[in-house]
Amino acid sequence: MIAVHGSVLAQEIEIESPNIAYSAIYPILIVFGVALVGVLVEAFAPRPRRYVVQTVLAAAGLGLAFVGTVLVAGDLPETQNGLARGGIEAEGALAVDGPTLFIWGAILLLSFFSVLLFAERRLESGVTAFAGQAAALPGTEAEREASTRGLEHTEVFPLMLFAVGGMMLFPASNDLLTMFVALEVLSFPLYLLCGLARRRRLLSQEAAVKYFLLGAFASGFFLYGIALVYGYAGTVTLAGIDGAITNRVGGDGLLLAGIGLMAVGLLFKIGAAPFHAWTPDVYQGAPTAVTGFMAACTKVAAFGALLRVFYVAFGGAQWNWMPMMWIVAALTMGVGCVLTLTQTDVKRMLAYSSIAHAGFLLTGFVGVQAATRDSDDMTSLVAVMFYLLAYGFTTLGAFAVVTVVRDSSGEATHLSRWAGLGKQSPVLAGVFALFMLAFLGLPATSGFMAKWAVFTSAWAGDAQLLVIIAVLASVITAFVYIRVIVLMFFADPVGEGPTVAMPSVLTVVTIAAGVVVTVALGVAPQPVLDLAHQAGEFVR
Amino acid sequence: MIVQALGVRTVDDLSEFGTDPWWLSLIKAVLIFVFLLLLTLFNIWFERRVVARMQHRAGPNKNGPFGLLQSLADAMKLMLKEDIMVKAADRLLYVLAPVISVIMAFLAFAVIPFGPVVDVPFTDRQTPLQLTDLPVGVLFVIAVASVGIYGIVLGGWASGSTYSLLGGMRSTAQVISYEVAMSLALVAVFLYAGSLSTSEIVNAQQRLWYALILLPSFIIFWVSMVGETNRAPFDMPEAEGELVAGYFTEYSSMKFAMFFLAEYINMVTVSAVATTLFLGGWRAPWPLSLWDGANAGYWPVLWFLAKVMMFMFVFVWLRGTLPRVRYDQFMALGWKVLIPVALLWTVAVATIRAMTLDGGLDRRVLVGGALVAVLLFLLLSIVGERAPKEEPEAEEQPFDPFAGGYPVPPMPGQRLPRPEPAGVVPGGAQPDQEDDTARRSATEEGD
Amino acid sequence: MDLYLPILGLAVLGAGFAVVTIVTSALVGPKRYNRAKLDSYECGIEPTPQPAGGGRFPVKYYITAMMFIVFDIEIVFLFPWAVAFDSMGIFALVEMVLFIATVFLAYAYVWRRGGLEWD
Repeated sequence: MIAVHGSVLAQEIEIESPNIAYSAIYPILIVFGVALVGVLVEAFAPRPRRYVVQTVLAAAGLGLAFVGTVLVAGDLPETQNGLARGGIEAEGALAVDGPTLFIWGAILLLSFFSVLLFAERRLESGVTAFAGQAAALPGTEAEREASTRGLEHTEVFPLMLFAVGGMMLFPASNDLLTMFVALEVLSFPLYLLCGLARRRRLLSQEAAVKYFLLGAFASGFFLYGIALVYGYAGTVTLAGIDGAITNRVGGDGLLLAGIGLMAVGLLFKIGAAPFHAWTPDVYQGAPTAVTGFMAACTKVAAFGALLRVFYVAFGGAQWNWMPMMWIVAALTMGVGCVLTLTQTDVKRMLAYSSIAHAGFLLTGFVGVQAATRDSDDMTSLVAVMFYLLAYGFTTLGAFAVVTVVRDSSGEATHLSRWAGLGKQSPVLAGVFALFMLAFLGLPATSGFMAKWAVFTSAWAGDAQLLVIIAVLASVITAFVYIRVIVLMFFADPVGEGPTVAMPSVLTVVTIAAGVVVTVALGVAPQPVLDLAHQAGEFVR
Repeated sequence: MIVQALGVRTVDDLSEFGTDPWWLSLIKAVLIFVFLLLLTLFNIWFERRVVARMQHRAGPNKNGPFGLLQSLADAMKLMLKEDIMVKAADRLLYVLAPVISVIMAFLAFAVIPFGPVVDVPFTDRQTPLQLTDLPVGVLFVIAVASVGIYGIVLGGWASGSTYSLLGGMRSTAQVISYEVAMSLALVAVFLYAGSLSTSEIVNAQQRLWYALILLPSFIIFWVSMVGETNRAPFDMPEAEGELVAGYFTEYSSMKFAMFFLAEYINMVTVSAVATTLFLGGWRAPWPLSLWDGANAGYWPVLWFLAKVMMFMFVFVWLRGTLPRVRYDQFMALGWKVLIPVALLWTVAVATIRAMTLDGGLDRRVLVGGALVAVLLFLLLSIVGERAPKEEPEAEEQPFDPFAGGYPVPPMPGQRLPRPEPAGVVPGGAQPDQEDDTARRSATEEGD
Repeated sequence: MDLYLPILGLAVLGAGFAVVTIVTSALVGPKRYNRAKLDSYECGIEPTPQPAGGGRFPVKYYITAMMFIVFDIEIVFLFPWAVAFDSMGIFALVEMVLFIATVFLAYAYVWRRGGLEWD
């Protein structure tokens, strides 16, 4: 018997150690590593030092990761006859290709400026805009004590970095399981961040709970979709699913249900109708810096993932999901535009505007997909990536402006409080007007080029009807944006009117970055468009 | 990776299992069942006798030889008692809870090896002395133990009584806290055995018991095993001074007996698991193992039982010796000592294992490293004790002997005011003789 | 499956024993009604009314439960890792040390912030 056991132990199956190319994925690792160091700082650094250490750490980490992304992009190998650049890394878990790196770059830039917004301290007279002690119930003695002691939650920086890491992982994931993990990693810190506002805490906590419940529900849909797709294809890798669809393995019901459910999860994150209901409440309740971060970065990451899943994995079943996306795009633009009209709160207005923009992005999404070598055709991928970058900076800048228009109770977000802002602070009102015009898509702003790009690709992709709807929607929203401009410059202030607090250099830099990118992409978009072109297709 | 790793498990040689005819399995199951019942009756008697001896008493000695039938008599008496269902109880769960507890207690024994492959009397069959074995045997034991907690927490909740609820909550928090340390302690064993199946782990200990080479794991397992079974000195869930009887305060008659039974079986189970994983299971201890026949036939059952009873004796010994710890001390021990130590130890074991596999680690290096580690530990503990405590200095508040309306002792940092002699007026004139005598007599009266 | 059937047998035996004895005791035992006997036991005082749905528990229980889940998941990864360790060598060691360190970091944070204090 002993001999038998000996031989059994000897014939143990060898497991090969996975091979991970750290040289291609280190930007993600930097972000996660810095986030972990941030947790350590929270644990061991003395309280007064944490703010400075965390801010510097987060900004430096994101900057370093951006440099890393640029370096990685520098030596991507060409594949698929030069149509795509990059490769599949980490045992098939991650696709590090041109689009991934473009999106990483966009996320890292946007989140870098978000860190500056997070770190703004002058507007709240010496503390950040986050709750002093989130565990203290609103309106209690404990809260007052936390406030008088000047407590701050510097955990927001590591939390944000975790979210950024998840956002980088999300569009890069090459199999559905990694994608789900990335979805959760990016979502959980955001749920928490939403509930950490220093002012109007009940509203903020309500927003966090709503976002969490609906987000958890959407994740459930996404996961169930993954299960069904796995049932159809027998694999979770995107290339494997594509192969199963191309070979028609049968069981289309499973596939269609799976695609539908996964689309629910992704469209929720994007904020597309009919899964948009959380957007206004969450955008309004969350601390404005977090709202700006979410509006800019989450959208970029989620669109990146949507593009990858639907182009790489479900590309063969295009004719099945295309009608659905048409309807969703049209509905999203409709809902976004019409409801923007009725808003009286700046943050809610921007939220509905972001829904409308999700619709425009979806319009680009259903456009031309196949790229050809050396062609200057506007493909959906290029158009959407350009739009995401342009919109991200504009919306981040717009939310940054919202943080500085204040009255005694904090930010003055009601639109009526903005009346006469142009007389009080012409520069700030002018900047906000610029962002409004960019949202509207006026020529010489980034919004125009972005819209032009997505409409071109959609028109070429036989989605003319959708383009017409989109143009109509733009005209409707023009009314809103112009109304705001008129309100700021030509209306008399009600009562005392808002005060424009003088922010520190951090917010000023963020707003300036928004302005510069908005103008630059409007006047000279070609370098960025070229960059998006060079990124090429997704690797398969 | 997990799938692959579990795939490896198929090379475990479990071919001896799953081949028994149904009647043989049934006989084995019944034998295990009867064995556990009898052992429980015996253990209750054993505990009472040993504790009595430790306290210079006689213990139960009336019913049967040496009082051996005392527990049986108690069980019969419980059966004839009224089955009270309290008004506030959630009826279904109230009944279900003890049943869950007792079933799960029985189940864990299904994968415990009592001995090697033996001949079945009166037939020409051979069968292992073990009901069955699984590729995930130890995981099964842990899983079953975890489900067993449901019995406790549901029983505490369903009773609709404050004491029960608190007992159930405490018990759950306690068991899950110590389960982490317990499971972490097992990782080192799996690393060396390369298997989760109990029979394989016993086979892997032919040369050396894991208790010897993985001593820290063994100690951690032993401590958490006491915590896991809610036994003294970790028996806060049923602390009679605070919670009457904890989660089974509201239980009576046979339902109470079920909880009691489950607790004693659980003690036997964890002892058997410890025996299997650390003390070589049914293998004969050293001097006996020189005899060739010691590890064959039915003899190993004896060694197995002896080892299990050794653990049982320690359980009783602990109960007879140690006072109950405070709950916060207990949780601190689990979370702040056992878990970090277990994690560090796991990493250390894995490192040593990897280096050994990678090119043969010099044993002298290992011993030297261990010595350095021990020295460091001693040094640190000495330094740690000398370091000034970081407790914030209590602000010098005047001591109020009636703070909150009740007489209270001074807090740390407060000093009991020196009783000033009455009648002394600070800066006043020297008291004259008369006053002094009056005061002295007053003091004497006061005494 | 053959490996698991005997376990089911043992479970049935255990369940049968529990049910039979409990039912027997219910049948055999006396039943003398007494209102006070059916109240919850609280050392003779009027029982505290139980809040609906069990009421609220101290938050430390939840923290313990969450910490348990984190560590339990770590253990779920550690078990197969330990079993397959010999065939993966140094790579497995490095990866797992990184993983343990990551969890340990969060644990250090909880510890420093008083999440493990039980007063």
